[in-house]
Amino acid sequence: MLQMSWLIPLFPLLSFILLLLFRKSKSESTAWIGVLLTGLSLVMSVGVCLAVWQGEGIKTEGTWFQIGERAITMGFEVNPLNALMLVIVSLVSFLVHLYSKGYMHGDERFGVFFAYLGLFSFAMLGLVLSPNLLQLYMFWELVGLGSFLLIGFYYFKPEAKAAAKKAFVMTRIGDVGLFIGMVLLFWQVGSFEYDEIFATVKNGDISDGMLTLTALCIFVGAVGKSGQLPLHTWLPDAMEGPTPVSALIHAATMVAAGVYLVAAMYPLFQASEAALTVVAVVGGLTAIFAASIGLMQKDIKRVLAYSTVSQLGYMMLALGASGYVAGIFHLTTHAFFKALLFLAAGSVIHAVHTQNIEEMGGLWKKLRLTGPLFLIGALAISGVPLLSGFFSKDEILASTYADGKYGLFWLAVIAAFMTAFYMFRLFFLVFTGEARQEKKDGQKDVHESPSVMTFPMIVLGVLAVVAGYLNTTWFGTFLSDYLARGPVELPHGDHHGPVWIPLVATLASLLGIGLAYLIYQRGTLSRDWITRSFPGLSDVIYNKWYIDEGYDQTVVKGTTGLSKLGALFDRYVVEGLVTAVTTGVQRLGRIGSRLQNGQVQSYGTAAIFGIVILLLIVALTGGYFS
Amino acid sequence: MNTWLLSILIFSPLLGVLVLMFIPSHDEKSIKWLGVLGTLFPLGIALVVLSAFNIAEEGLQLAERFSWISYEVFQSKGEVKYPIFYEVGVNGLSMVLILLTAVVSVLAAIASFSIKQNWKSYFILFFLLEMGMLGVFAAQNLFLFFIFFEITLIPMFFLIGRWGYLEREKAAYSFLIYNGVGSAILLIVFVALFMKTGTMNFEQLAYTLSLPQAELNQLFITKGFKMGMLIALLIAFAVKLPVFPLHSWMVRVHVQAPPAIVMIHSGILLKIGAYGVIVFGAGMFPEQFKSLAFIIGLFGVINLLYGAFLALTQTDVKRVLAYSSVSHMGIVLIGLAAVNESGMTGAVFQVVSHGLISALLFFLVGALYDRAGSSELSAFGGVAKRMPILAGIFLAGGLASLGLPGMSGFISEFMAFLGLFEKMPVLAAVGTLGLILTAVYVLRAVLAITFGAEKDLHKADDLSSSERIPAFVLLAAILFIGIYPAWLSDMLRPTLDAILLGLGG
Amino acid sequence: MSSVPLAAYLMLALILFCIGLFGALTKRNAVIVLISIELMLNAVNINLVAFAKYSINPGMTGQIFSLFTITVAAAEAAVGLAILIALYRNRQTVNVDEMDTMKR
Repeated sequence: MLQMSWLIPLFPLLSFILLLLFRKSKSESTAWIGVLLTGLSLVMSVGVCLAVWQGEGIKTEGTWFQIGERAITMGFEVNPLNALMLVIVSLVSFLVHLYSKGYMHGDERFGVFFAYLGLFSFAMLGLVLSPNLLQLYMFWELVGLGSFLLIGFYYFKPEAKAAAKKAFVMTRIGDVGLFIGMVLLFWQVGSFEYDEIFATVKNGDISDGMLTLTALCIFVGAVGKSGQLPLHTWLPDAMEGPTPVSALIHAATMVAAGVYLVAAMYPLFQASEAALTVVAVVGGLTAIFAASIGLMQKDIKRVLAYSTVSQLGYMMLALGASGYVAGIFHLTTHAFFKALLFLAAGSVIHAVHTQNIEEMGGLWKKLRLTGPLFLIGALAISGVPLLSGFFSKDEILASTYADGKYGLFWLAVIAAFMTAFYMFRLFFLVFTGEARQEKKDGQKDVHESPSVMTFPMIVLGVLAVVAGYLNTTWFGTFLSDYLARGPVELPHGDHHGPVWIPLVATLASLLGIGLAYLIYQRGTLSRDWITRSFPGLSDVIYNKWYIDEGYDQTVVKGTTGLSKLGALFDRYVVEGLVTAVTTGVQRLGRIGSRLQNGQVQSYGTAAIFGIVILLLIVALTGGYFS
Repeated sequence: MNTWLLSILIFSPLLGVLVLMFIPSHDEKSIKWLGVLGTLFPLGIALVVLSAFNIAEEGLQLAERFSWISYEVFQSKGEVKYPIFYEVGVNGLSMVLILLTAVVSVLAAIASFSIKQNWKSYFILFFLLEMGMLGVFAAQNLFLFFIFFEITLIPMFFLIGRWGYLEREKAAYSFLIYNGVGSAILLIVFVALFMKTGTMNFEQLAYTLSLPQAELNQLFITKGFKMGMLIALLIAFAVKLPVFPLHSWMVRVHVQAPPAIVMIHSGILLKIGAYGVIVFGAGMFPEQFKSLAFIIGLFGVINLLYGAFLALTQTDVKRVLAYSSVSHMGIVLIGLAAVNESGMTGAVFQVVSHGLISALLFFLVGALYDRAGSSELSAFGGVAKRMPILAGIFLAGGLASLGLPGMSGFISEFMAFLGLFEKMPVLAAVGTLGLILTAVYVLRAVLAITFGAEKDLHKADDLSSSERIPAFVLLAAILFIGIYPAWLSDMLRPTLDAILLGLGG
Repeated sequence: MSSVPLAAYLMLALILFCIGLFGALTKRNAVIVLISIELMLNAVNINLVAFAKYSINPGMTGQIFSLFTITVAAAEAAVGLAILIALYRNRQTVNVDEMDTMKR
């Protein structure tokens, strides 16, 4: 089984190629190619994961090409961490394929959509299986390509075009950081292999400054991909893509790749206290910052997008606070419940054809399946006890506390409160109360999505409930035992903070839910009392802290300004220099042409003088030049 | 020893000229097909040469050498013979470039189907140009190199000046003037080297120049002389490459020349500059080259960033691509400046990869121009709707250009930067800014054309089957090198190792 | 006979040549220019004969060469005068300053 694990990414690649070839086919049954092939990947991933659970991982490599004496290798590696990722990625990918069969029904580029999904799945699975940094980087970029193509799937929409471009460029900024880190590390270690890098780090062959520098450069890559502060702005915009894409790429898999990267390179980060602190601080700030924006958004997908950014911040915070297991644990549970939320949101959008939550309402009765499933997702993400989110969030809080980062701990608690609040604000506004949308002519009644869409949601709903029991103090810490067998030496086992931490977390989430209930369900509190009491602040939050505008004013304007300046420079200085030279030559020519007066006698005179001078030189120098 | 194979290859395009002589000049169809056949023939021979080429072997292969011109000069130190041979041969580096030339020529000939008039003289010049390019890469002495180098200039001048767009004549003249100055400098260097060393052969010259200083003193070759020669050479090839601030002719040519010619120009002719720097600069003056490495790297980074910044706000897609060529040639310099295995390999990879990518992109721009009658970005929009294949390949070409892994551009960028990071990490880190900017301007141009609301074009057919061949072949080549770079790097390794040995790195 | 040194002949030839050169370069009248050219040719003749006589192994080569020169000079004078007459008929002038049609 393990030897064959390199096949896992190839199935979606095959699906990509086949579907591109059958692109013109009108039949929507082509989707089954994608579903079937990702299904195969899923089966194999589960097999691989079980094999690793019972036994050892595997690593196989071959030379890709050589630079001098150094061989650059390609291959695959299976260890506990990436076997787990394989399952998550292929599972979500499979479910999203299935879901899209219903969601994308009737789209004229139906086949292309599945082809792109295949390309993305290939890249993501390849990324996870990579045994060295270079290969990871290559798939890292390809994942970005898949995301770019899918965000820009509705290519005719200007917003989608802008969003796709923004996503690619913003993540590219991060990628360059990763690139620099990777190359610097190569010259320190002499290899891109994880094993050798870790061995060198362990031996202390790299100076402390260099370690921190490379770790931070690599972290910049993770910041770009995972939408952390300050490179987060592309992720909410990426919601221009079709909703299944948001579920697959911008909730469950690609954005988690940043977290995965930090986890995969964990020994490097562990070696540098400063780097870990930076990771934790960036993660914690992102968590609360994005949660605050999520409080005010009106687009259902954007709320979920900011919630994703915030949850990714949590994961980073966990990793930065030495909570390796907690970070991965949250990654896993988040993949399930956030994909569930997005798919449910997609189902809602599919039913009501709008994304504005102000125009929804009272859908609980009409969407008998979507409603409860969304509720499960919302409860899970809010950290209500017994659901998966509770356990993973609790671990993050515990490890942050145990690591002594008390400030970040309280930030995380506040973020948890905000999360619960905005999720239930969303829930109440969408599913309860009266329908606020006026029915347009000819519009069909709101109806539940077809079973091909609801089935994936049900699977994810079940997982969102039970995934938490992978790692609990009550039943067993399966996950941390499992991850402990990986290449990463876990920090100090479990760190279970004081007993009051789960209580505080539960309290925070219940408070958030309760507040949302009071405002949006009961109407006890007026909906705009916050807005009215702090007009300035709410304005800033509603406009996403004006970060986009800030970037526009500084970076974008600066770059285009510089570019225009360069164009002027090119036109006037560089070209001017050339014109100066040519006019100079022309002037010289004109002077020369004045000498040519047509008088044979003056030519003769010049010739005679010339020969006299030459003869004089010969005579005076005594024939030196001969 | 003398196999004739290379000479046949070099002069094989002349067969096309010969046949074309007998075709009436109004017979458009047969001329065009002969044009393609005439380039297929050299490609076939190039493949034969490739099969005869032993990758593992070091040094020259398939060498030919005939006495050509010889004269004697009486000097104070006695009678000195100055023999000039006709010498050709291939090593890994020139083999790769010859293959690139043959392939791009065929595709450019196919792209020439959109030429509107004077097909006969067009293809005759085209064949002469191909002969010149093949000769440049096969020549093994300065004299022959220079002759072929000049042969490429003249057909190019006419091809730009007669078949280009509106301001074609101005472009042709600035092409000729810049390159003429470059050639003049080159000639001076070549003559000076010949007079001092008495040989024109590359290998002998490299050997002579690598003699210990005491022996060189007898030949009146001082360190200052070497440095002067190297700087002059670098300037001469900097015009060709082109390096900031000598790039303005190239932008003009890219904008004004017909697309098929730009494919050749940016695909191969610019590469002569890189080839020259590697063979003459690094190969003959290793010590001096090393001491100039930082300046070369600096110019590389300037080129990279300057081109990228200027490409950001251009409104004509041809200008965007022209500046992107400036930018990408910066990567060649960056690789060379690293003076190590990975940098050198990266530079050559970039030469090949950019040859393919820019040929592809200019081909597509030509196809777009045929459809819209303009190459302004604002004339296009939503091309993906009615021309999905064109749009898809254009996007793929753009992604290759910005260095997406799995495509050739990534390998070259990666290796060039990997090399430079070892020697000059700070400079390299500044240079990586160019990678971001490249993504920005490439996506801006590509998305402006393919995405967005659809705009009316007077012809909106997707790529025709004769247009698909070049596009698919180039894309396949780009992907092949990107996925299986070992094919190219194995071929280059012996040659580059030899050069690096001289550089002592 | 041998009392006159070679230098004297050469000096004479030099003076004659310089007078001819001066005339050829400065005179405006084309006829005079032609005559000056004859003077220079004659200076050459003197040199030829003198060197033939005074060289290490004297011979007749110089004299014979000067005969050739005289023939050529005669032919040249004939052609030159013919052109001059043709020009005079067309332009009514023999002034060399006005003969610059090649430049325009």
